[in-house]
Amino acid sequence: MLLISCPNCGPRDETEFHYGGQAHVAYPENPAELTDREWAEYLFYRDNTKGAFAERWLHSTGCRQWFNMLRDTVTYDIQAIYQMGQLRPATGPTAPTVTSPVSPEGAIK
Amino acid sequence: MADTAALENSKKIQTLRKSPASLLRTAFEAGSVAGTVELREVPFLTMAGLRVDPAGEAGERLGAVTGGLPSASGEVLSSGDTAVLWLGPAEFLLVAPAESHESLGGELPRALIAALADGQGQVVDLSANRTTLELTGPRASAVLEKGCALDLHPRVFKPGTALSTEIGGIPAILWKTAEETYRIFPRASFAEFLGRWLLDAMREYASTEVP
Amino acid sequence: MTTEHLPEHPDFLWRNPDPKSSYDAVIVGGGGHGLATAYYLAKNHGMTNIAILEKGWLAGGNMARNTTIIRSNYLWDESAAIYEHALKLWEILPEELEYDFLFSQRGVMNLAHTLGDVRESVRRVGANKLNGVDAEWLDPQQVKELCPILNINDNIRYPVMGATYQPRAGIAKHDHVAWAFARKCDELGVDIIQNCEVTGFLKDGNKVVGVKTTRGTIHTEKVGLCAAGHSSVLAEMAGFRLPIQSHPLQALVSELHEPVHPTVVMSNHVHVYVSQAHKGELVMGAGVDSYNGYGQRGSFHVIEHQMAAAVELFPIFARAHVLRTWGGIVDTTLDASPIVGTTPVENMFVNCGWGTGGFKGTPAAGLTFAHTIATGTPHKLNKPFALERFETGALIDEHGAAAVAH
Ligand SMILES: Cc1cc2nc3c(=O)[nH]c(=O)nc-3n(C[C@H](O)[C@H](O)[C@H](O)COP(=O)(O)OP(=O)(O)OC[C@H]3O[C@@H](n4cnc5c(N)ncnc54)[C@H](O)[C@@H]3O)c2cc1C
Ligand SMILES: [Zn+2]
Repeated sequence: MLLISCPNCGPRDETEFHYGGQAHVAYPENPAELTDREWAEYLFYRDNTKGAFAERWLHSTGCRQWFNMLRDTVTYDIQAIYQMGQLRPATGPTAPTVTSPVSPEGAIK
Repeated sequence: MADTAALENSKKIQTLRKSPASLLRTAFEAGSVAGTVELREVPFLTMAGLRVDPAGEAGERLGAVTGGLPSASGEVLSSGDTAVLWLGPAEFLLVAPAESHESLGGELPRALIAALADGQGQVVDLSANRTTLELTGPRASAVLEKGCALDLHPRVFKPGTALSTEIGGIPAILWKTAEETYRIFPRASFAEFLGRWLLDAMREYASTEVP
Repeated sequence: MTTEHLPEHPDFLWRNPDPKSSYDAVIVGGGGHGLATAYYLAKNHGMTNIAILEKGWLAGGNMARNTTIIRSNYLWDESAAIYEHALKLWEILPEELEYDFLFSQRGVMNLAHTLGDVRESVRRVGANKLNGVDAEWLDPQQVKELCPILNINDNIRYPVMGATYQPRAGIAKHDHVAWAFARKCDELGVDIIQNCEVTGFLKDGNKVVGVKTTRGTIHTEKVGLCAAGHSSVLAEMAGFRLPIQSHPLQALVSELHEPVHPTVVMSNHVHVYVSQAHKGELVMGAGVDSYNGYGQRGSFHVIEHQMAAAVELFPIFARAHVLRTWGGIVDTTLDASPIVGTTPVENMFVNCGWGTGGFKGTPAAGLTFAHTIATGTPHKLNKPFALERFETGALIDEHGAAAVAH
């Protein structure tokens, strides 16, 4: 069972949360102009990282807010929790969370 | 303003309605262990869902009606018999007595809707969305601990705190109103389930303690 | 002190060779699918100078961890064709491999608990019949006759409203299946190389020409990926992407019991499936953990939910005990169907995406994947399961038949 620290509510049981998959996937600027390959990439292809993975979570039975989390997919260690729209922090438990707010579209992968 | 005839009619209709856990009224009485842990439904409380940026103008106007908006998880701001619970950074639940509802001659949620006016946000009458179960007594927290993962230790969970969480596997809001008293707000469709779940969890306290 | 004479260690069923410097083909992953692929490459295509490279021990991945349900009652034509072919192979394999791996056709029931379930199930029975798959619709009384310990009262939250039933479906002993394939592979000359992790690929332009491993570099003409949960990791090493997410999938067993449960019961709606293994333990499982994970473990609430569901359906299980829980890493796709075919890299082929339900597909996966590797083009059964379907949109959505159902 994961113990997840919601940025708004503090540590809560995993059962209160909903998983949202890979973080920082930008919606295409002009979907109509994409090739089938590019559209397939957007719809069906997500990173499947073994190791530190930036992902989205929703505190569904709590504050109902989305946030980002950096979690190791092998050890399940939670390395960082940060706001939607923030850049992915550098890997590692001591990494400081980056505070410059950017739009999700502008975030790096 | 509702005219008097309409109000009378509406009051008559109110007497016919059934609360979500009414089916369990006698079971709650039978299952309560006086002085140990007791359960009852507090039906038809007036509830309004507020979604607004508390720091914005609309938030300030709503706050002026409610006596402020809480600013952090767990916080409850009470003003007289009305309380506002923090549900999220821009989401709040107002809880007031049944008589405060406009259908019974009160001012809610009309006063809130008027205060919001065309500001950004929303006020929704949620009085029928949830019911209220009140669990009280020295064993109340032990009962809850069987199905709620929050840290309910009095050192951590203080009276005047309300959290949106899971109890018995279903989503519910848990408000600690006094040292040994909790108000639990399940959605109406879960009321019977949660009522039965609580009765089951209370049952052991009806028998004499094994030394 | 007297020393008891220990019984002789049984003969090993396969050799443990060192890798050669080159092979005609290399299969990455020594689970059921890797073994079956090598077997059919050797048997059907005469390719015997081949190796299976396994990073751990033989069949220690999902092959060791699955709950062995075998059935073919999938909705769409493409799935029915490949899973039914697999079932037909299961029926002849014990003889062909000369190994009784306890394939038991005790039938599988998929319970319906809502009107939506009933409609979906009846539709699936119809579709199955049109595809020559044995399928029946059972009313609650018939369900009770087949499995008397099931609670069919309508005083539970999700009463049993009927079930689909496939009599030819069942279970098999997974580790024996692996050993049966391994022994035959070995007899046919296939090198099974354990403790040999593939760490990279040698390429000549866009063509794969070898693999780098923890036991040295191996040159090869062709590479077939059968790495289940690790498919994305290997694809990334080779320079292409797969639409796969790896999730933990858990299961559990009880202690041994007298035979009480004669068939296999699955319920998508209350979310559990249960069978009783040959030795007597109740075997159960449910859906994946929500998050991506390579940890071979999941969260406890998933186990808790499936036990609650099991006790609701089978009240007599209330006093059974959980003996052991475990997890595997399953490779899920968004249409709940596998990917078997060519890749953007020349001479590299992929078999993955079987997710929560690939044990049953093992023989057909092996047969069609071997054909694809040997001839360079897909067999007609795996053609629809190409990677390209995510671009063309010709998805094979089996969520209805596959969700909890393994
Ligand atoms: C709990 C659970 C229950 C299941 N229940 C069922 C069921 O009832 N019915 C059903 O049909 N299916 C079921 N499945 C799914 C089924 O187990 C899988 O779909 C199937 O086993 C996958 O094929 P495989 O046997 O080849 O996989 P695996 O046995 O996982 O084989 C893949 C192998 O690749 C190896 N590998 C990975 N990376 C490398 C590398 N770099 N180099 C070398 N080797 C590598 C791994 O070590 C592993 O041994 C279940 C799965 C789980 C986890
Ligand atoms: Zn929260």
